[in-house]
Amino acid sequence: MEVTFRRSAALVAQTGGLRRSIAVSAAAAVNRRHFSLSSLTRPPPNYPGHVPLTTLEKAALAIGSGLMSLRDPRRGDLIAAFAEATATPYFIYRLRDAMLAHPTGRRILRDRPRITSTSLNLPYLRSLPANAVGRTYVAWLDREGVSPDTRAAVRYIDDAECAYVMQRYRECHDFYHALTGLPVYREGEVALKAFEFANTLLPMTGFSVFAAATLKPSERRRFVSIYLPWALRNGLRAKEIINVYWEEQLERDVGELRSELGVEPPPDLRAIRQREREERRRRKEEAERESGRGRAAGL
Amino acid sequence: MRATPSRHATALLRPGRLYARRGAAPQLPLHPSQPTQTRHYLSATSSTTASSSASASHAPPPSSSSPYSVNATEISHFSALASSWWDPHGPSRPLHLMNPLRHDFIRACLSSSSSTHQQQRQQQTPTKLRYLDVGCGGGIFAESAARLANTAHVRAVDPSEAVLSVARAHARRDPALRGKLEYLCTPIEALPLPDDNNNNNGGYYDVVSLFEVLEHVDYPAEFLSRVARFVRPDGGWLVMSTIARTWTSWVVTNLVAEDLLRVVPRGTHDWAKYVNAHELEAFFAGAEGKGLGRWGTPRVMGVVYVPGFGWREVRGSEKVGNYFFGVQRLG
Amino acid sequence: MGTLVAARAAYVCRTCAQHFHKQLGLRRGYSSSAAQPDIYDVVCVGGGPAGLSLLTALRSNPITSHLRIALVEAQDLAKMKSWKLPRDSFSNRCSSLTPSSAMFLDRIGAWKHMERDRVQEYQEMQVWDGVTGARIEFDWAPGSTSPAGTTIAYMIENLNLTSGLLRRLEELGGVSTFDNARVEKISYGEETEELDLREWPLVHLSGGKQLAARLLVGADGANSPVRTFAGIPARGWDYGRHGVVATLELEGEGWGGANTKIAYQRFLPTGPVALLPLPGNHSTLVWSTTPSNASLLKSLSAEDFVAMVNAAFRLTPTDLEYMHTQGSGQADEYSWRLQHTKFDTWAVPQAVTGVQEGSIASFPLKLRHADTYIGERVALVGDAAHTIHPLAGQGLNQGQGDVQSLANTIEYAVSHGWDIGVAMSLEPYLSERYAANHVLLGVCDKLHKLYSVGSGPLVHLRSAGLSAVNALTPLKAFLMRQAAGNGIKVF
Repeated sequence: MEVTFRRSAALVAQTGGLRRSIAVSAAAAVNRRHFSLSSLTRPPPNYPGHVPLTTLEKAALAIGSGLMSLRDPRRGDLIAAFAEATATPYFIYRLRDAMLAHPTGRRILRDRPRITSTSLNLPYLRSLPANAVGRTYVAWLDREGVSPDTRAAVRYIDDAECAYVMQRYRECHDFYHALTGLPVYREGEVALKAFEFANTLLPMTGFSVFAAATLKPSERRRFVSIYLPWALRNGLRAKEIINVYWEEQLERDVGELRSELGVEPPPDLRAIRQREREERRRRKEEAERESGRGRAAGL
Repeated sequence: MRATPSRHATALLRPGRLYARRGAAPQLPLHPSQPTQTRHYLSATSSTTASSSASASHAPPPSSSSPYSVNATEISHFSALASSWWDPHGPSRPLHLMNPLRHDFIRACLSSSSSTHQQQRQQQTPTKLRYLDVGCGGGIFAESAARLANTAHVRAVDPSEAVLSVARAHARRDPALRGKLEYLCTPIEALPLPDDNNNNNGGYYDVVSLFEVLEHVDYPAEFLSRVARFVRPDGGWLVMSTIARTWTSWVVTNLVAEDLLRVVPRGTHDWAKYVNAHELEAFFAGAEGKGLGRWGTPRVMGVVYVPGFGWREVRGSEKVGNYFFGVQRLG
Repeated sequence: MGTLVAARAAYVCRTCAQHFHKQLGLRRGYSSSAAQPDIYDVVCVGGGPAGLSLLTALRSNPITSHLRIALVEAQDLAKMKSWKLPRDSFSNRCSSLTPSSAMFLDRIGAWKHMERDRVQEYQEMQVWDGVTGARIEFDWAPGSTSPAGTTIAYMIENLNLTSGLLRRLEELGGVSTFDNARVEKISYGEETEELDLREWPLVHLSGGKQLAARLLVGADGANSPVRTFAGIPARGWDYGRHGVVATLELEGEGWGGANTKIAYQRFLPTGPVALLPLPGNHSTLVWSTTPSNASLLKSLSAEDFVAMVNAAFRLTPTDLEYMHTQGSGQADEYSWRLQHTKFDTWAVPQAVTGVQEGSIASFPLKLRHADTYIGERVALVGDAAHTIHPLAGQGLNQGQGDVQSLANTIEYAVSHGWDIGVAMSLEPYLSERYAANHVLLGVCDKLHKLYSVGSGPLVHLRSAGLSAVNALTPLKAFLMRQAAGNGIKVF
């Protein structure tokens, strides 16, 4: 018991080498199996890349990765581990059942499509009309400078089907950005996470909303007054976004898809920020002019 | 629980009609001409009374002003109840519920018949029984006896015409009773006595029943002496049910049933007329001396009415309240 | 013996009845009714299991065998009696008979007239919650025996039961049967000079026949005309559920082999689904579900229907719900979901491989309870008195319990000279059966409602309860004896 706890604590403590430490412990587990049949014996993986963890290990993983990803929200691997560790008791099953209850969701689960730079024909998407879902998606990728391949593989969810659901959610995340038009930087990310939480009920997404605490005061005000209400309203009202077979929607008009899913576009965050920046600059200039004039008058 | 209350208590309850005195043998009031307060109590066991009993039995049937065993007040009381006699939820409900127990008791009596008489009987006559139901009222017992498969015939008598008209009307509702049940409006004193020369079993009955009658009779000894003569001498049964005269029966039948709960109409019972089982036993033990024939050892079964459940046999309760009494005539 | 019985006067003896006919016949001139009634002690309307058992019980008991009895049935009794099916084919309407019901049928001499090789007893039950998987296993601990052996119940085709009862009745004889006969109306008799039949029910049959009844027994089903005649209301509600039945073929004789058969029941949010063993590799299905699901199930191809039944015992409620929206293709869907669904192969029935052609049917489920079972010259038995949710398989047994009690009540009345028709003599029947049936109706109703809940705290609570019962061996043994009807009578 104690050994297990220490090992999983170490597993999250080694900030740089998460993957490595798992490999080590997995190897240790494999080795152990040869000479002992203790409770520490790790069962065989349920799918390629699966790392079976005990309940205690999952709890330690959840707490450790949660705390550390709060400190450093850019650590995608930690967020992924946290998401997996907190999804298992109930939430991922709920999401899986939401997919199973929907014809398209069932088709996705049956086909298990992956979204990668090779599964998607990116040059073709670039050739689509500007309002097409695929074009919006690829434009978003290009603008943010990200690739579909940057998503981590699911490891800690035991049920193969549920692991796929988590994988799918992760891979579709970029489409959500495209659908909502929310940018990738922290303010947009937090807003999107709030939307996802209301829509999927995955604990990690809700937890990520706490990252709003790390926003600048003006950003936080904007989040609370504009984006959080939008996210909750739309997340709850919209259909389950997980049931969108994005690969089949690439040629669709993004506005049409939005209204079909019941999502209203949020105020353009980039535009607002732009406007505010200009406003600030203008006010600053005016203030400077005022003070310049005053100084002139005082002379 | 003490079966018999103190004599003192009895005397207190009905000081005017003291039936049992300390040390006195059980006795039954005999004759209407004897005033209540100064009745001649006949001790069935003493030899001196045997002769007077014999003379009483040879006396002509009572006549003139008060000719019959049941008085007019009793008759009018039950006539007034006639309309509700067959209402299963009316005042006669306890009687309806008691009826199956009467058959159980008669069956127990018949099966306990001494073997010689039973054999004798089976050789002589068909197995079907003839009943005489005395004081049949609305016919609760008479109808049920007539319905039994091993019943040949039931003659039911009652002195109240009003009650009998209810009985007759009710019997018409059941085709099975036709030809098996006959009602006669007559006091038992007016019913012709069996004649040993008569073909039809001499007019004797296999079962003579007196259900809830004795407690309404002014002079039970005389009444019983008359009724006993209808019982077939070679093994017929006289069966009856009545209430013991105890303080519990006074509380239950008069105070609780009539006055408080009103499950039984007021005035149905006159506690002072109640007869105790040991008084009946004494009567039949001395019956031969009175020329009433030889009788077997009586069977007694005490029953208790539990509201909501009906009647239940409770051993020993004959000394407290309602009981069945059966006695076989052996000669 | 024969002469002895003949010597007994009939309650309404035949000669008397004829006598009345003659007498009444003379008065035909000023009698308003065209036909004179035949007078019977018992007129039983309805030749189902309850009615036939009652008449068999009365005829087989020497105390009541002299009663004049008439049976009125709308169907052809000769056809019912000569019912025959090939050995590998089973009727879809089966009932679960508890050992106490079976013992009763044996006592009245009917059990040996059943086609015994078509009756299947089972010794174990597997009952589980379809939402949480909480399970209770009713299997006898080694060495523990119930008074009636280890049999929990016997599965019997209703037609096997009725044809056996009819054969037994034929052997006993003495019942005037009026089959293919419709009850046109029930009125009261008339008063004549000798007789007052104004309180006697008069059953008018199609064709003009009239039967006067000392006791009119309503064994005429849930919509009992006798109950309507007696003015007895039946209260209750419809469950908004249908029971889908079918005769199924399994891959084998069951996990326990031919000698230890197992009944399976899974509580789904739409209602319980039960698979009950029949001889060989056959089983009978009783699936309580929504009317729309039921009509879908009935519309499916055999292959898809079989897949749905297998799914019902294995897949999640979510999958099942989805598959009920598919017009077809359930077989394909099932084989895919089977790969992704965890279940204990040994704890669910063996795979269903086929469904007997034409055996899929459905009927609406309701709860009904008559306000009383007795009236003046009227008694109700079986479905006429109560209709129960089939989840505990107690419907037929309740009817058998009624019949047993009513036959005892009549026997007591006859042997004590009581008019068997008057309500007072029928009171013991009412008091013996009403509360017992009411408790059972209530328990099954509450179970249905408890398991109709698909999520929420109640689901966890009921699972905890089920698991707790499963862990408590003495309680479980008690429940099993209750189910088998041979324990201490609490219901």
